[in-house]
Amino acid sequence: MKKQISSLVMRRLLIALITLVIVSFAVFFATALLPGDTATILLGQSATPEAIEGLRNAMHLNDPAIIRFLKWIAGILQGDFGTSYANNVPIATLIHGRFANTMKLAGLTAAISVPLALTLGITAAMWRGTLYDRLVTVGTIGIISVPEFMIATLAVLLFAVYLRWLPALSFTNEIKSFHDLLRAYAMPVVTLTFGVSAQMIRMTRAAVVETLNTPYVEMALLKGASRPRLVLKHALPNALGPIVNSVALSLSYLLGGVIIVETIFNYPGIAKLMVDAVSTRDLPLIQTCAMIFCLGYLALITAADIIAVLSNPRLR
Amino acid sequence: MTKPASSDRPGIRFGYRANLVGLSALCIILLWVVVALFAPRIIPHSVGEIVDADFFGPMSRDLWLGSDYLGRDTFSRILMGARYTLGISLAAVCIACFSGVALGMTAAVAGGWYDTVLSRLLDALNSIPSKLFGLVVVAAVGSSIPALIATLSVIYTPGAYRFARALAVNVNTMDFVLVARIRGEGLPYLIGSEILPNILGPVLADFGLRFVFVVLLLSGLSFLGLGVQPPYADWGALVRENIGGLPYGAPAVIFPSLAIASLTISVNLLIDNLPSRVRDRSVE
Amino acid sequence: MSHTTTNWSSSDDKMIESAIRSGASRRDLLKLMLANGVAMAAAGVVLGRASHAVAATPVKGGALKAAGWSSSTADTLDPAKASLSTDYVRCCSFYSRLTFLDQAGVPQMELAESIESSDAQTWTIKLKKGVTFHNGKDLTADDVIFSLKRHLDKATGSKVAVIAAQMTGFKAVDKNTVELALASPNADLPTILSMHHFMIVADDTTDFSSGNGTGAFKCKQFEPGVRSIGVRNPNYFKAGGAYVDSFEFFAIPDENARINALLSGDIHLAAAINPRSVRLFDGVSGFALSTTTSGNYTDLNIRMDLAPGDKRDFVEGMKYLINREQIVKSALRGFGVVANDQPVSPANFFHNTTLKPKAFDPEKAKFHFQKAGVLSQPIEVITSDAANSAIDMAVIIQATAAQIGMKLDVKRVPSDGYWSNYWLKAPVHFGNINPRPTPDILFSLLYKSDAPWNESRFNSEKFDKMLVEARGSLDQSKRREIYDAMQVMVSEEAGTIVPAYISNVDATTTKLNGLEPNPLGGMMGYAFAEHVWLSA
Repeated sequence: MKKQISSLVMRRLLIALITLVIVSFAVFFATALLPGDTATILLGQSATPEAIEGLRNAMHLNDPAIIRFLKWIAGILQGDFGTSYANNVPIATLIHGRFANTMKLAGLTAAISVPLALTLGITAAMWRGTLYDRLVTVGTIGIISVPEFMIATLAVLLFAVYLRWLPALSFTNEIKSFHDLLRAYAMPVVTLTFGVSAQMIRMTRAAVVETLNTPYVEMALLKGASRPRLVLKHALPNALGPIVNSVALSLSYLLGGVIIVETIFNYPGIAKLMVDAVSTRDLPLIQTCAMIFCLGYLALITAADIIAVLSNPRLR
Repeated sequence: MTKPASSDRPGIRFGYRANLVGLSALCIILLWVVVALFAPRIIPHSVGEIVDADFFGPMSRDLWLGSDYLGRDTFSRILMGARYTLGISLAAVCIACFSGVALGMTAAVAGGWYDTVLSRLLDALNSIPSKLFGLVVVAAVGSSIPALIATLSVIYTPGAYRFARALAVNVNTMDFVLVARIRGEGLPYLIGSEILPNILGPVLADFGLRFVFVVLLLSGLSFLGLGVQPPYADWGALVRENIGGLPYGAPAVIFPSLAIASLTISVNLLIDNLPSRVRDRSVE
Repeated sequence: MSHTTTNWSSSDDKMIESAIRSGASRRDLLKLMLANGVAMAAAGVVLGRASHAVAATPVKGGALKAAGWSSSTADTLDPAKASLSTDYVRCCSFYSRLTFLDQAGVPQMELAESIESSDAQTWTIKLKKGVTFHNGKDLTADDVIFSLKRHLDKATGSKVAVIAAQMTGFKAVDKNTVELALASPNADLPTILSMHHFMIVADDTTDFSSGNGTGAFKCKQFEPGVRSIGVRNPNYFKAGGAYVDSFEFFAIPDENARINALLSGDIHLAAAINPRSVRLFDGVSGFALSTTTSGNYTDLNIRMDLAPGDKRDFVEGMKYLINREQIVKSALRGFGVVANDQPVSPANFFHNTTLKPKAFDPEKAKFHFQKAGVLSQPIEVITSDAANSAIDMAVIIQATAAQIGMKLDVKRVPSDGYWSNYWLKAPVHFGNINPRPTPDILFSLLYKSDAPWNESRFNSEKFDKMLVEARGSLDQSKRREIYDAMQVMVSEEAGTIVPAYISNVDATTTKLNGLEPNPLGGMMGYAFAEHVWLSA
């Protein structure tokens, strides 16, 4: 089995690489399709034809697109991520801090939301049809229905403006103690947890409910197994595949989809960097950010797939 | 397969009550559908007309739900917005789930190269940020309702695909599917009669979830210029443009949110409470 | 202030202030003033002013934190490339200019000791002595020449290349004197040099990330798209220097978030808040608002060289259709000044005060539309978030048009790329023009026949001639006459409809003092950092 797992992982890594290439090409192509380029955007209202030409030449934007793409790939292979078109800062420097920030926020959120979601989802499935289940269901759907920017704004209004318990902005640079850490991260993490865990709860519950309907679970029930044992020992291992997939999908959102939270709390993460990069058509930056999102997403779903395979003996 | 005695599952105990919940959810949805269909005829004020000199006005006899940030009637705008939220979201989520599930099941059953290629392609698609995608669509084909529906569908198909595939892969390994295969049944039969019935429950739950996401993403894309043009707006856009009224608890921002919540909760409750026979065909 | 006591002068103010400082009580002073014939209300106002002036004696120290509204990875410390308010604020704190504009819009000396010319074509600029850059280097004529000349180089990508193009000759007469020759006479040179882009940088600078300048703050940290931190420059050439010890500036694009940060005490100044949010401060103590009407406007542009703008009656009709008062009331919430379809705002010295805009008259508009034959066809109007309040204005105009049976299809497009794809290009669209210090710059940029930003393709030889004439003349009254006439021409003949000049509202905590309006823009023309102080 070990050999099978390692060959599976190898295969997935190779496939991940291919996917990365496809994605970078697709992103490149998409950005090229967008009207305007960095020179016109940077010059903004002052863009006269001569000014644009001059700046384009200075930035080597006049090289054919495919040449620039290949140059960039060559650079990546040597570990050089290039420099940003917009401000000539090396991309590695630009991204480094922001990426660390995103990872911190994602890590904290995942650490809280995943256990919470799994617990709620599984217990709701366990006591399906009871008041508890109804409450969890309605509560979850209700929370997902509230737009994220509304949750964030409400949180800020309540905790920062009225109660003044927490700061309205997440000044991540001034954290000197654990207490500071809690204060700075509390609201962004809670806002994100709401959205992310709701999805996981729903899908976990649905997957577990599904496996509870199968014959072998009925069999276990007939054998006299208690409800918790039924769910945890018999149903859960079989529901693990879909559950892990939905967890992976939800967590991948934490990488690139948290633009609203980053905007409202002024949190310097990668999502906002990517949005900026698209606005300035800063190709190297867009490409690198896209690669990071893609890598993260692939890592998560590869892990999910491996767990799914491990959990189902018939797939091994 | 005989029906086990313990199929008298806990849920049946609340059978009566469950139906009531599902029924009321259905009523709410139907109500919104009616509103969407007849909106232009029932709105008291024109959608773009400025009727209040002040903004974020309170509920009054003339303006049932107060005025929005420009002084327009909130009630009329919500009624009109039903058309866009309901119509576009339902269309997009149906397309996304239908294609995602179909592709997912096919990939799980067919396996091999087909599965690998399709999975990689859809994973790649999922990696492209939706903002970039939306901008490209606007740039390439301009903005229109069909373009908006297509964009939303494309953004959410990979997720539906992944989930359906994971479920289908599990079911695929079951004995009865193996038996069907040995019997010589073709792909369509396997998908339609063996796999689909057994994953319908979670897939429908996914549908409900995706519907919520689409409703919310719709407003984001409208702000990018893709889709619903002023003076019309979908509910999400109504919430977004009136968010400044939140500190005052203005009806202009509360009621569109409630409208969204009522619709999404109803859709999901309905799905949860569909008659068992529809939802769970493994029990004959 | 709305009350003015006649025959009360500032020296009388000073007398009251010193009385307060030496311990006079309010009641005594009130009695004194009433005894001297000052009306009760006026006395109250005078006392308030004096008390405020006394309470507002500058205090040194504190860490200033302020937030603007836009920032991205394109943030730069290169003045030539500065394009957003965030860039301007940073440039003002780290660098200095030759001149700056005071509250009345009149150029005052900053790095220059004097700027003189006899013919408005060759100018002699004498620099102040003893000015040093943050890295210790002395300010010399070479620095000034380098700073000005680089705008002419295409590789710099300067935002004011078009304006700088008129500078043709640079000569360093001696270490502290520069002789600048222009292509043709331009009496506005001192005002032009007060623009943010013409900040003076050190000779031969290629890397601007350190912000090495002569400004009131030294750049300690700069992360584009995140924030900048400056610390007080102890060697600042202006006596006393800045009041605050450090100045942190960053952007919070989400307006609610920006206000909430101010309300919760995280920042001292929230720039450019939406007029609708002003209500949030009603009855809340500890905060103040600073309003500036500087000449920023959003205009509806109708290209006169394309349909439907090529029909004179369509343009006329649209001008009658615009309900300017309602736009100021509903879209701007009163924070604006009704404008008269031309770019020179009341903040400008040469504003034509007698020119009235076309009155709102939907019937007349309908008449003109019928004459032009466009009443039956839908007209597409492009709008975007990229231009302030453009979407709100579009919606209001659309609703008004619907009342006379005119169908305007408002199309909202992404702000991303708006300036490259739609502005100047679409037949009917919205634009946004930032304040410029002189009518000459405005007219040259926007209304000259070959102007790069001629939004409506306005074309008049007579106008072009008047422009050159006014530019070269040093006679103020003659210039005023010509500019008045040009404003009338633009208002009546061009296809750009300017409904209002938009006021900028900055919100601050009452702990922040010294913030005053300036015609170059909000945040005191972006230069507030060195003028404000924090009280306890």
